Amino acid sequence: MAFFEYSDKRNPKILVTLGFLLSLILPGCSPPPLPPEVGLAERMNHDLWKAQAHVYASEEYQSYKTTLKNIMDDLIREEARFIWFRDYEPIAERLKAVLRDGEGILEKVQERKEAKRVNTTRQLSDLEERLTGLDRVSLTINEGRLARRSLIKAALMIKEAGLFLDRGDYEGAASRLTMASGYIKASEDILVPIFNRYTDKTLIKKWRRWVDEATAESREKGTSAIVVSKIDRNLSIYKRGRPFKTYEIGIGRNGLSDKLLAGDGATPEGSYRVIKKLFRSRYRKALLLNYPNDEDRREFLRLKKMGLIPKRAGMGGLIEIHGGGKEGMTYGCVSLENRDMDEVFKLVPLGTPVAIVGTASPKDDISITPKKVGDD
Amino acid sequence: MKRLLKYFTYGLLVMFILAGCAKQPTEDINAAQKAVEDLKAAGGEKYIPEDTKKVDDNLSAALNEIKAQDSKFALSKNYDKAKQMLAQVKADAEKVKTDVPSKKEEAKKNALAGQEEARASIKEAKALLSKAPIGKGARADIEALKGDIKGLEDSVPELQQLIEKEDYVVATDKAKAIKEKADGVSNQIKEAMQKVKGKEGGKK
Repeated sequence: MAFFEYSDKRNPKILVTLGFLLSLILPGCSPPPLPPEVGLAERMNHDLWKAQAHVYASEEYQSYKTTLKNIMDDLIREEARFIWFRDYEPIAERLKAVLRDGEGILEKVQERKEAKRVNTTRQLSDLEERLTGLDRVSLTINEGRLARRSLIKAALMIKEAGLFLDRGDYEGAASRLTMASGYIKASEDILVPIFNRYTDKTLIKKWRRWVDEATAESREKGTSAIVVSKIDRNLSIYKRGRPFKTYEIGIGRNGLSDKLLAGDGATPEGSYRVIKKLFRSRYRKALLLNYPNDEDRREFLRLKKMGLIPKRAGMGGLIEIHGGGKEGMTYGCVSLENRDMDEVFKLVPLGTPVAIVGTASPKDDISITPKKVGDD
Repeated sequence: MKRLLKYFTYGLLVMFILAGCAKQPTEDINAAQKAVEDLKAAGGEKYIPEDTKKVDDNLSAALNEIKAQDSKFALSKNYDKAKQMLAQVKADAEKVKTDVPSKKEEAKKNALAGQEEARASIKEAKALLSKAPIGKGARADIEALKGDIKGLEDSVPELQQLIEKEDYVVATDKAKAIKEKADGVSNQIKEAMQKVKGKEGGKK
């Protein structure tokens, strides 16, 4: 009080000057608040990142970030202005616009994510279906090694993709499904050529002819005939041209292919005869067939000439119908349960015609041809 | 009065000088930046992504505040808020960083446990397969099952690689998938064995 009293008395001009100076300085202590949109836009930026906008709307998100950065730079410039001249209104308006953009991007991200989820789920289900089909095919045609290895890897990838999907990582799931698709393709490359033989009309006609010849002979001569249907895994005894009894069988480890050379594990296809009955064999009893016959020899030489069979490869032989059990896999022979072999052995005399074919019932056979990769 | 005016002018001058001397808090910036970098290097982005991103964003905000002060008139420059923000960033980064090892360890533990379980399941499937009946009953097939186990065994090194790369989440998923498939193979063999036992029982 003393000061004011003193000043007032001595020089009122000084008081006015001081007041003016204080009025310049004091407002600087309380700047106007920043627009609330600043915080909102920054939070939106974080929300967009969290929603994986950088993955699902990368261009739009980049544009959002650039715009926001420009506005923030302008905000900084605005903040640097003398307090009386600061005007945050235009910046607030721009921030409102960028927030609207952000909301739009967020919506777009959700839509795209949902589309990706639906698409990936559908893809996963398609691949699972194909896998199941191929699994069945591989079991049917006894292709147990390479194709199965690829199939199990595909199954693992599909399982992993499911776990990624559960976590909402659709990109990760999609990448796993791409890998699964590759493994499925690899197994198809092994399985399909084998399987395609069973839809080859020429081949089916030939098989039909061999079966007809064998059963016709049985009918005409009143004797027995044997028909082995590889895909059905059965052996039928015909008596006087009529089916008498059918047994389950096992075939070679590569049994559904036609035998081309020694050691290929394939069971030969053709029109054969029982040329020897072995009462004692390593596999209980056995009926030795006349493999290779003339047609097999011709085919072998033709393929060798074409370079499709290695020069040093032999034809193989000693193809039998024997006991030992139908479940074990042979090197190309046809195997039966011991008790069945005992029966067959009794029913079949020397010289009995034997037709070994891919399938004896082609009409209701291949309905499980696997879908190829990329097919819709 | 003249004396008073003189003091006031000196006071103003001191204020001007002090305000003009306000400098960027370089040490604080470096410390905060280093703390964030250390957090990222420790695996913050992988194991605690959201918190790491928040810390990173807060660092950007602090740097923006510094920019804002830099462009102000010398008299009104004030880095106190920026300093506070930087100190907070540093503290947060250090706090999040301390959480990383436990999260990482937990993920690693899960992956290793998964790997162990997957290996045990494959081992069990192989052991069962060696005791399996020659046939497998129904349509399952010994050769097919062997192929399946081989495929699963092929996947174990991939699992190891993922663990070595510290990709524990993916490794855990893979381990889960391997275990599930291996258990599936074991179940098929067990079913086949049951069938054979059933048949043998019937014969008696």
